[in-house]
Amino acid sequence: MKKIHSLIFFSFLLLVFHSCVKEDFYDNTRRGNYEALWRIMNEHYCFFDYKKQELGVDWDDVHARYAYKINEDMTNTQLFEVLCEMLSELQDGHVNLAASFDFGRNWSFYEDHPENYNDSIAKLYLGHNYSIASGLKYVTLPDNIGYVRCESFAEGIGDGNVSAMLNALASCNALIIDVRGNGGGQLTKAQAFASHFTNEKILVGYVSHKTGKGRNDFSSPKAVNLDPASNGIRWQKPVVVLTNRAVYSAANDFVKCMKQCPNVTIMGDQTGGGSGMPFNSELPNGWTVRYSAVVFYDKDMQHTEFGIQPDIFLEMSGADLMQKKDTYIEKAREYLSKSE
Amino acid sequence: MAFLLLPSLCALAQDTLVVAPNKEVLHSTMIGVGSANVLDTYLSPYNYKGTDYRIQRETQRMTLLWSGRVSNQSFIDVNFATTKNHARNIKEYAGGIRYSQGWFYNFMGGNIVNPVERSKSRFNIAAGLGASGYLGVVYIDRSGNNPAQAKADLMIDASVMATYDMVLWRHHYLWRYQVSSPLMGIAFSPAYGQSYYEAFELKQHDHNFLFAYPGNMPSMRHRLTLDIPIRRYTLRMGYVAQFNQSMFNHLKYHSWTHDFVIGFNKYLYRR
Repeated sequence: MKKIHSLIFFSFLLLVFHSCVKEDFYDNTRRGNYEALWRIMNEHYCFFDYKKQELGVDWDDVHARYAYKINEDMTNTQLFEVLCEMLSELQDGHVNLAASFDFGRNWSFYEDHPENYNDSIAKLYLGHNYSIASGLKYVTLPDNIGYVRCESFAEGIGDGNVSAMLNALASCNALIIDVRGNGGGQLTKAQAFASHFTNEKILVGYVSHKTGKGRNDFSSPKAVNLDPASNGIRWQKPVVVLTNRAVYSAANDFVKCMKQCPNVTIMGDQTGGGSGMPFNSELPNGWTVRYSAVVFYDKDMQHTEFGIQPDIFLEMSGADLMQKKDTYIEKAREYLSKSE
Repeated sequence: MAFLLLPSLCALAQDTLVVAPNKEVLHSTMIGVGSANVLDTYLSPYNYKGTDYRIQRETQRMTLLWSGRVSNQSFIDVNFATTKNHARNIKEYAGGIRYSQGWFYNFMGGNIVNPVERSKSRFNIAAGLGASGYLGVVYIDRSGNNPAQAKADLMIDASVMATYDMVLWRHHYLWRYQVSSPLMGIAFSPAYGQSYYEAFELKQHDHNFLFAYPGNMPSMRHRLTLDIPIRRYTLRMGYVAQFNQSMFNHLKYHSWTHDFVIGFNKYLYRR
């Protein structure tokens, strides 16, 4: 009978000493939502140190400056405006607040700079008889240079698509890959595309993630290598990648990878950046917040959050525009013709 | 109605008693529905609440171990929950499968597998250890990177079960209660802000396989059922409560479910 009592007592202990794992905070008031947003960013955002260094943003100071703007009589729209204003201090295109009625963003990375791209004129180079391989539009220009327009990495660009395209352009002397305006997509697709331009495994950068709630809690950076494409064709001739300020996120990473590949020259304007991998969270009222969570550095352990410098800087010429010419494409053709 | 059932029950009793205890196997299958409360701070800082659906398949038999005092329980538990956040504008789905094997010492010479026909006492108790493995996922229905969280563990569990044979109008109604809790093992978790791109594409691991014990994985599973004999089958109905929790790499997780379950169990005989 003692054994039974012991067992019952043991079961009782199990019940008593099992603690509950609960949510930390939930307060769906105006101030509760404000505090939740500040706290989510405080515990998860990965660029506080860098933004303090580059922009002078002190997140504690931000809390103090915006807290007094919050009151319970605010409308949803007013609260949204204040919260977006607070997030804009970070000048990060990956930091967004989404509500059913609006999408808060800071797109100054390209809105404050010349576009250096004219869609109508660029389309003249593609003409009407261009081919499309899973979102990659390509054509052979009259001087036997292949022109590839890559508008996004959101589509599933695979080895098969890239190889088919490179095979079709195999007789070209060189390649222009135009990623202007490419706002990103899937990082793996961008790297898969870049893997067709190297024959060797190359170091392209480092990655580090947060390991805790503290602003300086990061894992030690680990190397990110670009492996050569194991399936399909690897391009061996000169390549120019055209960039502008609207090249962002996964497209920025593509440029970072291509910059390390042999025979590749980056021409155009500085990229827009966006080197943090974004995660999502939410506020008590259901608004969704997106933030940079994982830091990607270049091969020299430098941030590319605010963009990558081209090898050759270009500006769109007004005179070229008048003649319906794209300065970027013309300069790339000129450069590639000389390097042949 | 009860008098009509009685002859068949007597016939069953006569059949079973000629079979050795270790040849008798109790099979039980149940389905359930109830409430779910899921928290996974890798995906969201807030609780998601909704409906839980559950299927349980159990097999129990006595073994020859320890002079026939040890029983074996094989258990498969599958659940799927659809939940929403406080604001009711984002959906989250959580589910998984746990398979366990447990061995129980039956106290007082009892037989926890078929206590109605093989135990002298109306109250039986058994306790033991088992091994279990879990594979699951929590998926949040909003666009973006890392919308899901994988769950996996391999654990040694402690478990206690008890039965009480309640006789009403010459019918045996069997109450069964079981509580289980993981004692130690290995569990998977991403690091606090680690992306699945790092873990699976780059194969860069960071404290992803952790030693789990009640301090960081305080979980419990309770099951209370009532067996109601109906001819050669037995209707089983009851309540299942599962409190699966963890705190790994500063990430909090809980899945609290309460289900009403119903099904049948049947004794089969091995050669």
